[in-house]
Amino acid sequence: MFQSRSEYDRGVNVFSPEGRIFQVEYAIEAIKLGSTAVGIQTKEGVCLAVERRITSPLMIPSSIEKIVEIDDHIGCAMSGLIADSRILIDHARVEAQSHWFTFNEKMSIESVTQSVSNLALSFGEYDRKSMSRPFGVAILMAGVDENGDSVLLHMDPSGTYLKYGAKAIGAGSEGAQATLEEQYHKSMTLDDGIKLCLNVLKQVMEEKISSTNIEVGVCRKSEEKPGKFHLLGKDAIDTLLTTL
Amino acid sequence: MSILEYNGASIVAMKGKNCVAIAADKRLGIRFQTVSCDFQKIFPMGKKLFIGLPGLATDVQTFANELKFHTNLYNLSESREISPKVFLSMVSNFLYQRRFGPYFIEPVIAGLDPKTDEPFIASTDLIGCPMVTDDFVVAGTCLEQLYGMCETLYKPDMQPDELFECISQSLLNAQDRDAYSGWGGVVYVIEPNKITKRELKARMD
Amino acid sequence: MAVLVDEGYQTHPTVQHRFFPYAQNGGTVVAVAGEDFSVVGCDTRLSEGYSILSRDVSKVRKMTKSGLLGCVGFHGDVLTLTKMLDAKMKQYKHTHGKDMSCEAMAQMLSSTLYYRRFFPYWVYNMVAGIDNNGKGCVFSYDPVGSYERETYRACGSASAIIQPLLDNQLGYKNQSNANPAPLTRDRVRTMVRDIFAAASERDIYTGDEVEISVIDANGIDTQRFPLRSD
Repeated sequence: MFQSRSEYDRGVNVFSPEGRIFQVEYAIEAIKLGSTAVGIQTKEGVCLAVERRITSPLMIPSSIEKIVEIDDHIGCAMSGLIADSRILIDHARVEAQSHWFTFNEKMSIESVTQSVSNLALSFGEYDRKSMSRPFGVAILMAGVDENGDSVLLHMDPSGTYLKYGAKAIGAGSEGAQATLEEQYHKSMTLDDGIKLCLNVLKQVMEEKISSTNIEVGVCRKSEEKPGKFHLLGKDAIDTLLTTL
Repeated sequence: MSILEYNGASIVAMKGKNCVAIAADKRLGIRFQTVSCDFQKIFPMGKKLFIGLPGLATDVQTFANELKFHTNLYNLSESREISPKVFLSMVSNFLYQRRFGPYFIEPVIAGLDPKTDEPFIASTDLIGCPMVTDDFVVAGTCLEQLYGMCETLYKPDMQPDELFECISQSLLNAQDRDAYSGWGGVVYVIEPNKITKRELKARMD
Repeated sequence: MAVLVDEGYQTHPTVQHRFFPYAQNGGTVVAVAGEDFSVVGCDTRLSEGYSILSRDVSKVRKMTKSGLLGCVGFHGDVLTLTKMLDAKMKQYKHTHGKDMSCEAMAQMLSSTLYYRRFFPYWVYNMVAGIDNNGKGCVFSYDPVGSYERETYRACGSASAIIQPLLDNQLGYKNQSNANPAPLTRDRVRTMVRDIFAAASERDIYTGDEVEISVIDANGIDTQRFPLRSD
């Protein structure tokens, strides 16, 4: 087994006899090295929380950006090779604006994720335009659509994307996922959802949780659909942490 | 740009029950620039006879004066007022005399017969082809707009007040959709025993 | 409107030839937006010069259940533009899993027209339907895609004849003591019929039949009425 593995796992565009593309599977493994990210979807909106993982006290925490805005109503958290994610994020942003330019409406989260997944699969050895390897990053795309539905989507390096009620990715994902399965339920309020995110992160993080070593993003459904995605400020996170 | 659109104008005349009405805008422009907002385009030619002259302003004034000259002569030599039908023939004749160097105007005539008080409206083209109608006549730069308004709003045998409302609405709404006419309006309602001149309040643009 | 035919009374000793790959096929479209419905009327005559090519060509087509498209101008470009738009509507449905809303279609049409900024589609368009909030909407365009949402608009060969009438009767312009009553479907339908009757009297390119479509949340109801055939 191991033998055949090493024969077929070098080429990015090679299938193994069992029908697996090892490079893509290895890329999925790479996510397990990344910092933990958690997302929760509720009827009132969605929230994302990510561990910043500060490796040195000389690092300036605010320069680590692991939750980004794609459009007014969509946010994205990533885990894995963060540099790879910049290409995906940029593509998502351009697609969302292009859609607005042509159709004068907000692109739905699922459509944005679909356009990103098209990019994730376009890798090849001899093609100059695309990447030479799969992307080593998984993303959680979250937001509230124009029709008021809140959506959380997870996309991995294979380009597969699925909707989730709650999802954790990254280093502490196994433990985090187990906790989410126990404590998440569909009829949660958004505030409870944010607290659950923070609790889960607190559980799996190595350092003590504080407002400097995590990022939290929220998109609340509002009267004027769609809701606006925003990152929570330091003070807001501090207040939330005291209530845990 | 056509020479007839150089100064801009809109004129409309309508027939009612024993009355006629004639209305015009008040703008004088030089191409797109407005020069005056009280330029006279309707001229009295008899006690109950009016002519409205849209088109090139210099021809409007010259032709109006010429017509007044000849109408006065007619009145003196015939010892009677000129009737609208005859007046139409006179206008048509004078315009055709200038067949190959025409006056750039398209007159609209409205009046009551001096003896029978029968209402009469007519218009001609710039070389004198006459057209007598029973309902309304229009002329000027917003010709199509006026046609649309008159066609829909007009009904036969209207009383003077109703006729005034109808012709005013037609003129105001049509000239609002034409850059070359506007800046107010003037309406004459001609009845057997009185002539009423009213100024219309319009968009001043 | 008939810009190239009407040159006033000027005569030209020399005639300049220029490349002009368009024809003018006439026709008129009128659209009115109500509170929760829209009405679109069009004539069915297709002409060229003084000839009538057909008496049964409608200028309005259904794009989705919430949007109608009316196009007049050069018929060749009308056909191509509607084909392009149909294809884009299908692509949208396949990519995003839902029908294009009326406002999205309006913006998309604008981009499609502007794409051909230097060799335009010689088409005057109007999009009418129900917007995302369930209210009636009308969008009118110029041939290169400039557009605006309005309550009422007439476009086509008889547009100059019809537009001031809409201003007066629907916009209550120049009426100082007007009591604006809420628009009903029947009132608008009757008004559009009368408007086309007036237009066909004075415009040679408008006539034969008027096709009136009322679009609301329940669907599209189309009726035809006869007009002058001369």
